[in-house]
Amino acid sequence: MDFESLARNYLELAQQVVEKATRKGALAEAFISTGENLDIEVREQEVEVLTLAQERGLGLRILVDGRVGFAYTTDFSASALEETIEQALANARRATPDEYNCLPGAQEYPCLDLFDPEIEARPLTYKIELAKEMERQARAFDPRVKITESCSYFDRRYVIALANSQGVAASYQGAYCGASIFVVATDGEESQTGFGLATSLKLRELDPAKIGREGALRAVRLLGAKRVNTQRAPVIFDPYVMASFLKVIAPALAADSAQKGKSLFQGKVGQRVASPVVHIIDDGRMPGGVASAPFDGEGVATERTVLVEEGILRGFLHNTYTAAKEGVRSTGNGARGSFKSTPEVGTTNFYLAAGQSSPEKLIKEVSRGLYVTDVLGMHTANPISGDFSVGVVGMWIEGGEFKAPVRGVAIAGNLINLLNSIEAVGSDLTFYGSTGAPTVRISNMTISGM
Amino acid sequence: MLLAPDDLKAILEAALEGGGDFAEVFLERRRTTVIGCEDNKIERVHSGLDQGAGIRVLKGEDTVYGYTNELTRDGLLELARKLGRAAGGKGNNKPEIKWQRPQPNWDFQVKKRPDEIPVEEKVALVQRANEAARAVDKRIVQVSVSYGDVIQEVTIANSEGTLVEDERVRCRFVVNAVASDGKIIQTGYETIGGLIGFELFEENDPVELARKAAERAVRMLEARPAPAGRMTVIMAGEAGGTMIHEACGHGLEADLVQKKLSVYAGKKGQQVASPLITVIDDATLPGKYGSFRFDDEGQPGQRTVLIKDGILVDYMYDYLTARKEGRKSTGNGRRESYQDRPIPRMTNTFIAPGKDDPQAIIRETKKGLLVKRMGGGQVNTTNGDFVFDVAEGYLIENGEIGPLVRGATLTGNGPEVLKMVDRVGNDLGFSLGTCGKDGQGVPVGDAQPTIRIPEMVVGGILDEEEKS
Repeated sequence: MDFESLARNYLELAQQVVEKATRKGALAEAFISTGENLDIEVREQEVEVLTLAQERGLGLRILVDGRVGFAYTTDFSASALEETIEQALANARRATPDEYNCLPGAQEYPCLDLFDPEIEARPLTYKIELAKEMERQARAFDPRVKITESCSYFDRRYVIALANSQGVAASYQGAYCGASIFVVATDGEESQTGFGLATSLKLRELDPAKIGREGALRAVRLLGAKRVNTQRAPVIFDPYVMASFLKVIAPALAADSAQKGKSLFQGKVGQRVASPVVHIIDDGRMPGGVASAPFDGEGVATERTVLVEEGILRGFLHNTYTAAKEGVRSTGNGARGSFKSTPEVGTTNFYLAAGQSSPEKLIKEVSRGLYVTDVLGMHTANPISGDFSVGVVGMWIEGGEFKAPVRGVAIAGNLINLLNSIEAVGSDLTFYGSTGAPTVRISNMTISGM
Repeated sequence: MLLAPDDLKAILEAALEGGGDFAEVFLERRRTTVIGCEDNKIERVHSGLDQGAGIRVLKGEDTVYGYTNELTRDGLLELARKLGRAAGGKGNNKPEIKWQRPQPNWDFQVKKRPDEIPVEEKVALVQRANEAARAVDKRIVQVSVSYGDVIQEVTIANSEGTLVEDERVRCRFVVNAVASDGKIIQTGYETIGGLIGFELFEENDPVELARKAAERAVRMLEARPAPAGRMTVIMAGEAGGTMIHEACGHGLEADLVQKKLSVYAGKKGQQVASPLITVIDDATLPGKYGSFRFDDEGQPGQRTVLIKDGILVDYMYDYLTARKEGRKSTGNGRRESYQDRPIPRMTNTFIAPGKDDPQAIIRETKKGLLVKRMGGGQVNTTNGDFVFDVAEGYLIENGEIGPLVRGATLTGNGPEVLKMVDRVGNDLGFSLGTCGKDGQGVPVGDAQPTIRIPEMVVGGILDEEEKS
């Protein structure tokens, strides 16, 4: 694909659609995304599934007398675009008017390095080899790693074009890639699974050996896992597990949740919501961040927002609507899942900042406790009430060392208590996609087992 | 039809030019409507058109897949050739394609097409539900109601001559209520939906649904934290079928079985559950969320007995997994959209009703946890360990239903739990959801009668005084 000319052509198309809608007496915004996707799945050193794809779509947001209407299409024919405009206008007529609905105006955007030419230039064979190397490394790590559940490489190359009736007309191109492996280690009748994964803006930064070995280590280490007794004890989350919890916390830091009475943090700006070692940040222009972009889904420049500083809540993430409602500036968090949705408040590169201690030290200081390496049922945690109860696996710690693997147990609590009970944060900040966290230690939690 | 049969034939032939041994075209046009109300406002009236084509070329056990939004003959021919070349191999496999149009095993009529219902009527339904939920209690602080309908037209054609055109119409209605007493926040969630038109709302009153969700949110404010540890668990029929979906459904999908990623691999003919347990997957249940006439490979939907009286009878197959074993697909080849290749998936999966009176099961339980409503869940199919969330649970004390508890998760091992089941009720309650696997979400139904499990791990919280 010639991304340069695509960006030009689609920006022009977006502007045309906006202009047509404007002529019908509305404010309008057209968002176009298009791109190419590659997915490679390898098993037993053979390419099992290869997916090559192109996709595109246009989402049109209309504002008439404070009412919002929205429609999308993947059909770019003149008649389909015309129908989309009519549909969005008709939808707007059914919506409740709200004086805070608005579209942002033109602004300056940062210049970011988002398109690694190597992702485009490297041939398919190179990427297949990368996936195969991951599998070889996992198998070589330990002979008990016998089954590959999945071993895959993917990349996305895309163009975003956005235009609105208030003067926004911008586009950018980007690319990212990722690799993951899920393996099974077996010993007699017993099977345990482990995974390794990484996502990056740069192809060169994907390290197949590291990902493969991590998957193998996570699986092998769990062989022989048993339940422990029900008890209260210190619990350590590895970066992956803490990042999973952060994803559940994220919606509570969105201004719309707070404005609608659905956030654990509402009315708590300036108050303590976490232990003093906790800093939570959203950074839409972070170098190397897979969610970095010059502007958000409605054309507001991205920025770095400190949400929790030394355990004190500093503020919420905003899009144009929530900001207008509170009389503040949008933080550039009008996130769009795809062209099929309107810009809702959402995170970009969202992370718990690194602390001082090495992860080894966090473990060494525990006399009896649980080191958690994976969670089952994280999506059942309730981001509104903050209640969670999840199945976990990991390693039992005794005398500062891993004693035996653990499975079939659950941990439960409330996110607010969890954040307040974080007593130490590791130095090993690791990103899983756009969410990152270091190792953390929680002073005390209930572990449900035998 | 989204493309003429002759064009489809040309595309399939082009896909096999590179030497592949099977090709398939999946064309889809999906129109959706979503209406959302929150904060007492109709915030969302969205409609969308998503159309595209997925082409699959198989060579032995390998798959090459591609998709595009370009629904033209030329665009698809180009994609087909590209995929055919990527599939590798030698020679030009020129199939003799003679179209056969399979008949479905069941049929139904949509009584009220959602695209013929004025948007005002859908909006009014959402507003009524919003008002009903808010009227339940002054502690209801937020209500979110959403209505959605999907009309999905598909054309499926493959190089073996299968040619299917179908239209799937689904409606769904979701209510989320948030209650707060100023200190804690709790939520209540209810949903209905199915392969059905707007008549869904004649059979199920959205106002009732909204009240149920709001009442649960308010009740949960009074709930105490769930206890922690092992105990007897009764799952009420009305609790829904998440448990069976997680505890054994996924493990009976043939792709996982063939890759030895399931605890149920190699266990056909063996006792894998209590003799009281029969598990069925059935795509032919009228109006259920996981039902269909044809799966996404053009195979008619069917009823498959998976476990009979505790004995593992069969797995769920799609075309590819069935071909590996030289057998027929069970009509479980499904995909989220044209962007995904089909894989074996559940449809409506349930434990068949037994003989016991549900009330008697509770009466005859001294101490335990009654699950009245299940939430979501997850399973590690490789070892069978699963969890699911208890959305509404009560302690049972001396055969009586006791206090409400919150924040519980049940953790267990599929085969272990199913072997332990000692009572099965004569009721059957359905729930619906979107099941995720390999990044693809598909609509499913789950159901079970009231069942009792003598011992499961409840993930709760220890009282402070029990702190060791």
